[in-house]
Amino acid sequence: MEGITKRFGDVVANDAVDFTLERGSIHALIGENGSGKTTLMSVLYGLYEHDAGTILVDGEPRTFATPRDAMDAGVGMIHQHFQLVEPMTVLQNVILGHEPVERGFVDEERAREDIAEISDRYGFEVDEYLDVPIRDLDLGTRQRVEIVKSLYRGAEILILDEPTAVLTPQEVDGLMAVMEDLRADGHSLIFISHKLEEALQIADEITVLRDGHAVGTVAAAETSEQELAQMMVGREIQSDREPRTTAPGDTLLDVEDLRVTGDRGLEKVSDVDLSVRKGEIFGIAGVQGNGQSELIEALTGLRRPNSGTIRFGGRDVADMTRRDRIEAGIAYIPEDRHAEGLVLEYDLVKNGLLGNQTLEPFANNGLIDWMAVRDHAETIVEEFDVQPPDADAGAASLSGGNQQKFVVGREIGHDPDLLIASHPTRGVDIGSIEFIHDQLIELRDEGLAIVVVSSKLGEIQKLSDRIAVMYEGEFIDTVDPDAVTEEEIGLLMAGQRLADETEADSEVRQ
Amino acid sequence: MSSTGDGDAQSVLDRLPERLVDATVLERLGIAVASTTAAILVGLVIVAASGYSPLLFLNNLIVGAFGSERVLARTLRLSTFFVLTGVAVAIAFRAGVFNIGVQGQFIVGGLSCTMSILWTAPFLPGGTVGGVALMLIGTISAAVGGGLYAAIPGVLKAYADANEIITTIMLNFIAIGAVSWLITNPFGREGTTVVQTESLPENVRLPPLVFGDANFSVIGLGLTLALVVAVAAVMTRTSFGYDMVTSGYQASAAVYSGVDAKRTIVATMTFSGAVAGLASALYVIMFQGRFVEPASIHTYGYDAIAVSLLAANNPLGVIPAGLLFGGLNSSSSYIQIYSDVPVQLIDGIVGLVILLVAAPELFRMAAKRAGVGGEDR
Repeated sequence: MEGITKRFGDVVANDAVDFTLERGSIHALIGENGSGKTTLMSVLYGLYEHDAGTILVDGEPRTFATPRDAMDAGVGMIHQHFQLVEPMTVLQNVILGHEPVERGFVDEERAREDIAEISDRYGFEVDEYLDVPIRDLDLGTRQRVEIVKSLYRGAEILILDEPTAVLTPQEVDGLMAVMEDLRADGHSLIFISHKLEEALQIADEITVLRDGHAVGTVAAAETSEQELAQMMVGREIQSDREPRTTAPGDTLLDVEDLRVTGDRGLEKVSDVDLSVRKGEIFGIAGVQGNGQSELIEALTGLRRPNSGTIRFGGRDVADMTRRDRIEAGIAYIPEDRHAEGLVLEYDLVKNGLLGNQTLEPFANNGLIDWMAVRDHAETIVEEFDVQPPDADAGAASLSGGNQQKFVVGREIGHDPDLLIASHPTRGVDIGSIEFIHDQLIELRDEGLAIVVVSSKLGEIQKLSDRIAVMYEGEFIDTVDPDAVTEEEIGLLMAGQRLADETEADSEVRQ
Repeated sequence: MSSTGDGDAQSVLDRLPERLVDATVLERLGIAVASTTAAILVGLVIVAASGYSPLLFLNNLIVGAFGSERVLARTLRLSTFFVLTGVAVAIAFRAGVFNIGVQGQFIVGGLSCTMSILWTAPFLPGGTVGGVALMLIGTISAAVGGGLYAAIPGVLKAYADANEIITTIMLNFIAIGAVSWLITNPFGREGTTVVQTESLPENVRLPPLVFGDANFSVIGLGLTLALVVAVAAVMTRTSFGYDMVTSGYQASAAVYSGVDAKRTIVATMTFSGAVAGLASALYVIMFQGRFVEPASIHTYGYDAIAVSLLAANNPLGVIPAGLLFGGLNSSSSYIQIYSDVPVQLIDGIVGLVILLVAAPELFRMAAKRAGVGGEDR
């Protein structure tokens, strides 16, 4: 790709970007949210028409008006938000639009064989799930379905848009292995990420984008995390844990013997006890799917626990509705800002009311005071440096990091006593991560009780005063972040207690 | 911009949905007027091709809607019914609940209105005071009747996961059958074979004031507009409305924000059905003066779906959409009476107008749903 320029109105999303992908290599594309990574790839995939520049495939200039053109040229894209039809089965999703046809009927047998072959070649287990609807699969498996779908359509070049954002550490390792296999097989991969270590680990070359410009392309073997981070943000990144100067206060949240059933009728939280004090950050680490989501939903009032007590400020809130809990002072930064935290079709003013619609001063006797709501939204935009700084902007038009900053700002704006943050920096650029972390630490110092769930160990370790590791619905251990290494937490996350540490080190890890 | 010349037509087509999504209210009104004109022109060609005079047809079309005080009163009368039932549909659609049962709620509401007035009339004084009191009682009964009847599919959807499209349609047939039986047997007028209730007392009527047509009152029109504004205010300026509309846009975000999804479904249906009942109260008090065989009542509740979609489910937009439907219906009965153009051809042309007017709005909504227009970087 040479000199690619793409404008949206007055905004230049890509400014004369050059990007060269070598056959049989992995090329990482990194940059903060809103730096133009996804736009550049959408141009390559035929989703956007570029304003200037040329795309060359094997030396031949090509224009892709639609994704189908791109697919025909062997370009496949795995989107950050999967493009799968949830009620349909894996088989139907993979062949959708490219069904093998036998005398006018879909030849399912042939499709099965083809998919099984692709799965076997790269060690996917996708063929085991062929008749399972997508909605019953976890995110890691859905992603492999997406990859199989692209391969099934004959993709030579695969674009993976932030593929690790939704994965657990184990699944990330699995994905890395898959990417290596694909490279060995002659496929060329573009890996979009803002996780520097992942880019360094897997890529041959790394291109850094900043504000729509290609800042530079470096060989992964000859660069460091520090150098990449500087290229991305143009300044040094401080990410170490700082000693705190304040002390936690009284216990605010006290949970005993909590049991919660998940969507598929299985018990996902078993006998969990936890307590969080004012001015304390309680971190919950764990591989995704070990009951963290269900635990958080039980705490916030989105899911009714089977048994156990949830005492908040001395009051048992286990039977309180979500709305009552919001009004009682429990704020929640949700796991999925697109589904829950924001209404994408609303502007920021209307989104500023989400969750606040029964609270004063935004509503009095059921009547909404839109002026107060607008002031509130504008305050959030200003204080949390949301870009563009315009409360009338639609939520869908913001980049992920700015959406998240808005959600965090709104939830803190509830003036809560307890803040529950689920993956507060997922899919967020480095600058925003730092900002959100600083906010959480500041709130802790002001005396808020905070529960943080994250799959990023560095984040949990940096923020938490205590870390609970969740495994198969239970807290396998609660540890002091200063006295534990990332490796030790990793072991706990894999279900091994620290007492077995010496043995586990010599064994192959699960 | 595409650098190749032959790609331009393609790119214009590609950008059309985006353009439509971003269209302002004024532009959309302009589009609607242009579509109506275009549809009428096409209709006239068809009329001419069928061997009838297109000029006479066009004349009848206009005269039939606005040509005299009498037809204008008819147009406005029909429009009020389309507007009110359209608003009832819009409330539910906005909240993501598909209430196809407005016709049934209209019928139940109308019977509630009629019977409550007939039963309480003997206990109230005659004259204006008694009349106003009876009309209030009838109006409230209509809202309660329509609302409760709509609450049934709401409860079934919320607590038993029954598809509301199916249950509301089935309840329409039940309403027609049950009300027809009731006014044939226990509630029927004595000494006549016509299926209808007793007439409402003389003092239960809305005075025409402006038009010399006993079937239409400017007061009814005023009340209709006031109700539309009230509904629009509830939808945009209250917590209840925010809960409903947010549920319609994105149910998961609504639940996150503390909305009780099940209760909101029932509340939405009840609200929608109550407005359908109010439409029926106006129908009974201003127009019929009694309740008649429900199968013979025009299908306002079904046409209301088209009215609401035409208005993009916006309560205020329902006013022009309802006027268009009122005008077309008024014209079509005029043309049937005063020319030999067959009714099928008239209906076809009316359908063409609705189709062409609705098409840009439908494309707009589809494009919006498909995510065209907003950048998702």
